Amino acid sequence: MKVRGRSKTDKFTFECNEGERILYAGLRSGLALPYECATGTCGTCKARVRELETIKDLWPEAPGNTYLKRDRGEFLMCQAHAAADCEIAVPAKMDVVPDDYIAPVSTRGLFANCRRLTHDVVAFEIELADPIEFDAGQFVVMQVPDVDGGRAYSMVNFERATRRLEFVVKKKPDGGFSEWLFGSEVEGTEAEICGPLGRATFQPDEAKNVLCIAGGSGIAGMMSILARGCQERHFANHKGNLFFGVRTLKDAFFLDELSSFVAAHPDNLNVTIALSDEEVDPRETPHNGTLDFATGFVHSVASERMSGNYDDVVAYIAGPPPMVDGAIRTLIMDARLPAEMIRYDKFS
Amino acid sequence: MSWKRVCSASEVAEKSLKQFDVEGVPVLIANLGDEFRAYPPLCPHMEERLEESGICEAGVLTCSKHLWQWDMRTGEMRGEAEKPLLLYEVKQDNGDVLVNIEKELEYEYDEETDDDDDSFWD
Repeated sequence: MKVRGRSKTDKFTFECNEGERILYAGLRSGLALPYECATGTCGTCKARVRELETIKDLWPEAPGNTYLKRDRGEFLMCQAHAAADCEIAVPAKMDVVPDDYIAPVSTRGLFANCRRLTHDVVAFEIELADPIEFDAGQFVVMQVPDVDGGRAYSMVNFERATRRLEFVVKKKPDGGFSEWLFGSEVEGTEAEICGPLGRATFQPDEAKNVLCIAGGSGIAGMMSILARGCQERHFANHKGNLFFGVRTLKDAFFLDELSSFVAAHPDNLNVTIALSDEEVDPRETPHNGTLDFATGFVHSVASERMSGNYDDVVAYIAGPPPMVDGAIRTLIMDARLPAEMIRYDKFS
Repeated sequence: MSWKRVCSASEVAEKSLKQFDVEGVPVLIANLGDEFRAYPPLCPHMEERLEESGICEAGVLTCSKHLWQWDMRTGEMRGEAEKPLLLYEVKQDNGDVLVNIEKELEYEYDEETDDDDDSFWD
């Protein structure tokens, strides 16, 4: 199917395969279509179609539909197939894609190495048939046979042209995917993957000091950023500060990995675990010497410890919405960072 | 010309935003410290309530949803914003904040889809 359209800045045409979502088809063909969650929630990828019958709406109850004016032919590009050749209008400016843009692909892989990290956090890998490229901080949308709809998860690892993607998922009440993951024998299950997606990426050649503020499973993308930073010796001459918020010590995970990152660059890399619901004796914390511990909400702890240290910083944020909002407020009000140096993807 | 009392100046803390209803017209009042400003209450991007999503710092208003930013005094766009803020005229009188409301200001969220004829698609 051919999709013809225009945005505030561009006219475009791209091919959309049978059963392919219009957003993914456009991104795959190298267009910078607007999107954030890519999973039907945020409403950012809304567009208008000339003839409603030329698209198929996959999720009429999507939360992001509250942003739509249906009688004007508005729809979410991430939740629609092209049913025929169609014409669409995108009410946004479209950025020029950078030279190093990695176009997302649709592919498949198998669940492997699924293991519990805490009572409510699971890590697993997807083994892909074909290698893919991604930037540190990016995510994919994953779909499995027994669960309706796609879920967005950030990659934990960072490797070029890899067949292995690592993920971490926190159990959520009524979370269809996490209930499936925690309740089933998932090894070997085939998943559909679309990615990489997301603009909150780490590019070492920007030569910035790095600040990461993460809550819970939001640590995933930060692990990828630190992995890349360490692989490319970014922290040999740039500061890295990571703040990881969890409730209590027993909710923390990836501590061995984080400790190894710090051990590789002890002068420039600092990792602080912020415990919102527990006081800890600093002498009795794990990895004493490489990891710091503090009590409080992670954005408050970051605000206290970063004060006066925001020179030349690019900040990455991921976690539950109230934490992301708190961190943004800190970075604008205390740090006065310019908006383009604050990076996050909303997919909750 | 219709000047309406919105609130007392002390009701809106410095560097903050507060939404009021003025005879059925929602108005967002910003306290810049030395002056007040009045805007329509929703972000011109995706209709977020700026009273909740807005951050005031150094004379710049930021909507925390997608980091659109504006000069609070003039409504001019900063950074990534693609539409300016609309402003009502404001004055202070005897400790009160007054706003000149001729008609409710609203953003045109469908501006690029207004043209319903076929030429729109050509």
